[in-house]
Amino acid sequence: MKLGSRIAVRMRCMRTRRILQNYCDAELDDASTNRVAAHIEECRRCGLEVSVYKDIKRSLQTKSKQVNPDALERLRILAEQLANVAKADGFDYDD
Amino acid sequence: MPDLGTQMSSEDSFELYVIPELEVLARVALTITRNSADAEDLVQETLLSAYRAIDRFDGTHPRAWLLTIMRNTEKKRHRRRRPNLLRDGDAVERLAFSAPDQVDNSPEQAYIANEFLGVVTSCLVNLPDRHRQVVELIDIDGLSYAEAAEIIGLPIGTVMSRLHRARARIRQRLGDAGVAPKRSLL
Repeated sequence: MKLGSRIAVRMRCMRTRRILQNYCDAELDDASTNRVAAHIEECRRCGLEVSVYKDIKRSLQTKSKQVNPDALERLRILAEQLANVAKADGFDYDD
Repeated sequence: MPDLGTQMSSEDSFELYVIPELEVLARVALTITRNSADAEDLVQETLLSAYRAIDRFDGTHPRAWLLTIMRNTEKKRHRRRRPNLLRDGDAVERLAFSAPDQVDNSPEQAYIANEFLGVVTSCLVNLPDRHRQVVELIDIDGLSYAEAAEIIGLPIGTVMSRLHRARARIRQRLGDAGVAPKRSLL
């Protein structure tokens, strides 16, 4: 690879690294997403970084908190009561 | 109390916009309060405030709207009570984490996955509070950058900066522990 091409790839690497986490979070616009996707196809090192960050994200996702089902049920009942308040004659809404 | 003349639409709006977000609200409340009883109280108060305000909600971005209400509700709760015990000794232990999934059945892969998860977990627990909070809101609770910024009450750029630094620290530790490639220098 010619020096100019190598420099061009490195420049793309630097740009990619700056937005790599946004890419993994799907928080980029379409144009930037496509640019990063094209770059990680040609650059093994950046592709590896994407892969590691995605693994980190997947590991963290396994730590999803388990909301107490009883608490969730109580909240659901409250929410449904509020949703149905117009139907309930004499519902006493205490502000 | 909501306007009686618009009660039917309020009812529909509440059912349409609020109830589907209930579980997300509960998870985020747990992240913010780090205590299940406080989290339930916070969601209850958020629901009541949302009900009072539903007539003024235009129907766009209900989750962001609810998260703003939750943030304001939590601020009021702070004012009413002593400062929240955000980092008391066993707060982290009380986090009700589920068991990690094993995605690969081979012993070697399972071992590496387990080591990887161990480093991530250890690093997460030891992150500074402000960094760990954004990681939990975005990676664990599933909020977008904008939604996390909404609930924390900070600019989106600050949220991104904290998130990226936190993950970069985790990534560095994974490389040091030998369960991920060392970060390549450009």
